[in-house]
Amino acid sequence: MVLVKLISLFISWAAIVLVLLRGYPGRRPIVSAACIAGFALGLAGGGILIRAFTGELPFWIIRGVVAGSLIFFWGVSVAAFYRSTGRRYVRTRDEHFVASSIYAGAFSLISGILMGWLCASRLPVADSPVSMYMIVALAGATLALAAYALEKLLPAEITVSQAGLAAVVVSLFLFCCSTMPRLDLFSPLTMKVMKFTHDFVHQFFESMLIPDHLFIRSYLWDYIGLLFGNSVGFWGGLIIWFTPVVLVILAIQFERLPLVAHIRQGAVRRKLLAAAIRERRFRLVIPVIALVIMAAAVYKSRYPTVEYWDPKPLPVSADPSGEIFIPKKGEVNLEDGKLHKYLFKKGGKEARFFVLMTPQGKLTVALDACAICKPDGYGQAEGTVICYYCKTLIPLETVGKPGGCNPVPINFTEKEDGVRIDGITLINDWGNTVQATTRIKEGGK
Amino acid sequence: MLSAVWSILSSGALFPLVVGSFLLLYVGIAFITDDALIALMEYTRTNIFLTILLSLLPLSCAGRIVAETISYLKRHRALAGNATDVPAELFDETVELAARPSFADLRGRLDAVGYKTHCTDSALIAVRGISTFPARMLFLAGTFCLFAGILVSLSTRTSYRGTVIEGELFPAPSGNGGIVERIVLGKPSGPFLSKSLTMEVAASGPGEVKEKFGLYPPSRYKDAFVYPRYLGVALFIRFSAPDLPAGYESHSILSIYPPGKEAGEEIPGSPYRIMLSLAEPDDGSDPYMTGNMIFLFKLLKGKEIVLSGRAPSGGEFSQGGYRLSFPDSRRLVITDFIQDSGVFLIWTSLILFIVAGSIWLPVRFFYPRREMLFRREPDEIQAWSRAEGRRRMHAGVFHEALDALETSRPVTT
Repeated sequence: MVLVKLISLFISWAAIVLVLLRGYPGRRPIVSAACIAGFALGLAGGGILIRAFTGELPFWIIRGVVAGSLIFFWGVSVAAFYRSTGRRYVRTRDEHFVASSIYAGAFSLISGILMGWLCASRLPVADSPVSMYMIVALAGATLALAAYALEKLLPAEITVSQAGLAAVVVSLFLFCCSTMPRLDLFSPLTMKVMKFTHDFVHQFFESMLIPDHLFIRSYLWDYIGLLFGNSVGFWGGLIIWFTPVVLVILAIQFERLPLVAHIRQGAVRRKLLAAAIRERRFRLVIPVIALVIMAAAVYKSRYPTVEYWDPKPLPVSADPSGEIFIPKKGEVNLEDGKLHKYLFKKGGKEARFFVLMTPQGKLTVALDACAICKPDGYGQAEGTVICYYCKTLIPLETVGKPGGCNPVPINFTEKEDGVRIDGITLINDWGNTVQATTRIKEGGK
Repeated sequence: MLSAVWSILSSGALFPLVVGSFLLLYVGIAFITDDALIALMEYTRTNIFLTILLSLLPLSCAGRIVAETISYLKRHRALAGNATDVPAELFDETVELAARPSFADLRGRLDAVGYKTHCTDSALIAVRGISTFPARMLFLAGTFCLFAGILVSLSTRTSYRGTVIEGELFPAPSGNGGIVERIVLGKPSGPFLSKSLTMEVAASGPGEVKEKFGLYPPSRYKDAFVYPRYLGVALFIRFSAPDLPAGYESHSILSIYPPGKEAGEEIPGSPYRIMLSLAEPDDGSDPYMTGNMIFLFKLLKGKEIVLSGRAPSGGEFSQGGYRLSFPDSRRLVITDFIQDSGVFLIWTSLILFIVAGSIWLPVRFFYPRREMLFRREPDEIQAWSRAEGRRRMHAGVFHEALDALETSRPVTT
């Protein structure tokens, strides 16, 4: 059952080894050995790290490393594009290094470590015996050897540029991350883009001494307001996500054709140019596949297949003194560690909130919304709640604490038999938090 | 040493490397704080290493302008037939042919396919289209101005906030402004601004003149830009209460525009606090424009509202021993005085980008520059070719021209 969860990661792993082997055709033994060794190392290291540190730290680290690989890919793609648009092709010292055995081995080893680490983070933390890790390591090695055999059967015309290699390897890492919400990178990226755009527009207005919205025509301010909207994060995120792959494709497309002016036979010239163009087209295959994989990663990030515990909000009412009482043992058991949602209506206004027993054994009451995102609500998964809007995972230990994308905590009184919440405070807190964009009637999602 | 500095500054790789470094730094900061852009600006302002790194951007642009101008002039000389030595890097392709035919036939053929040709004693030059060099120079100059502006702005900008009040001295940073005669908020002007705002300031002394400050583009006073931020009212408040018989009076600066926006005034040494806002007139007019201001107030004692009501400017309200009056009100504008020479550079860069784009787009897509140079040497012919657009077509013509030179067969297109 655990291995089934790893199928998408195993397929990605086999694809990575396949492309690495094709990318370093003269160094197959080194690449295969480094891949297998890296995978085993990464799996063991990841397992130790996850067991050593509880909470989100190990996942934060691995997400940072994958984000680093995306930044590395950005650098590679810009360099490739820059070279291809130059007037002359010059083979630089770094290209000699990239083509060497040391680089091929190191790149394969790092790819293996990262993939092993990703597999380790997919395994259940509590109930994964050492034998489980050994089985996964064995499966990884078998897949690498299968890729070794399969690579020889691929058409010789399909070649991979170094930038194309980076494109497909990084895109597969990003895809693997998108299958695990706590490692997903696209959603946090959209939030960062939204914040950057907001800050940039503000700073631009300040720097250029442009008058505040008080003095700007409303139609114009509506257009400027688009830059502060939520969709700018999504579209900006897409641009950052896809640009490096597009740059690699353009770099290949813009590559200078060989100089043929010294050849005096037109037919020979045309044949040479046609062969170069054909070869260039085949080199586009891998980056185009990377583009599709990155699109799949975005889709997985937007529509995760993970099932969250998300109960329908139960309606509650206040007593004459305006207090809401929720018994600990009633229709639901508040102390079962699950998230329990409620809906309170008063005077045409509504507020959605939940009660949860944290792993520390403390009851907490919070709005089903945070202070940043649209109030799409929260769902509960293993050890975390997730903000449906921005896909941020919040460890159960921190639910009840204010700030960031955490659910907004509500003042309440815990009694022997249940919790008491002031209805007016609840309605006011909800109103202040979610403002006009409330989607309360949709019950969360 | 100088040659090394020059090769770094004129290298096309310097600019993307520096920009990439700043991007990396931004990403790193974004992992730590949500306000990454503001933090990066602050670090760049205060860290000498980052300031120097940023200064490499305009320097790189200046280096590229010089390097590309030198290349352009060399190529221009070569295409005029005046250069003795033509470096290969000035062109896309360079070929040598072991032949010495006449250029007369080739010239006719190239004329026929649309190239403008001219011959010297030993060379044939064929050109077509317009060079994007001027647009490129404007673009590089714009980039230079943009990053020089950002550098100057980040490292030298100073800001001072003052309150411009009708009838009071203009609060210039130097402290010697004239009297503010009036503040006029007017109807919309132009397609972008919803209101016009004019602050009229009398001459501050002999030899000075009356000045008017508007919204945008921002006016200048001495060395500073006058940047109006918020509107408000300077209100003279007189207040007494049963437990405050001595009363209280004060001039308050209230940022209460537009109508409905609230601001508060603490009564020192008492539990009282007055919350004030401008009432929205029934006729839909703007009280700041008309000057007919009616103030809505709430008197709070601790957290409890003890009195609320409305009173016009110059009016009074009294109830239950409380007395509140507003003997005088004047318009005010909270204004920033900003000294920043970088703003001019950034504005200039925007103009240069627009002009460069307007030239580059039509030239590049409809009439790109294509050039060929054939030169007769003692026992061979040397040929150079270059194109800024439609490269494949131009290369085809060039190759066939070479074929024709060698075999003396006619050039076809």
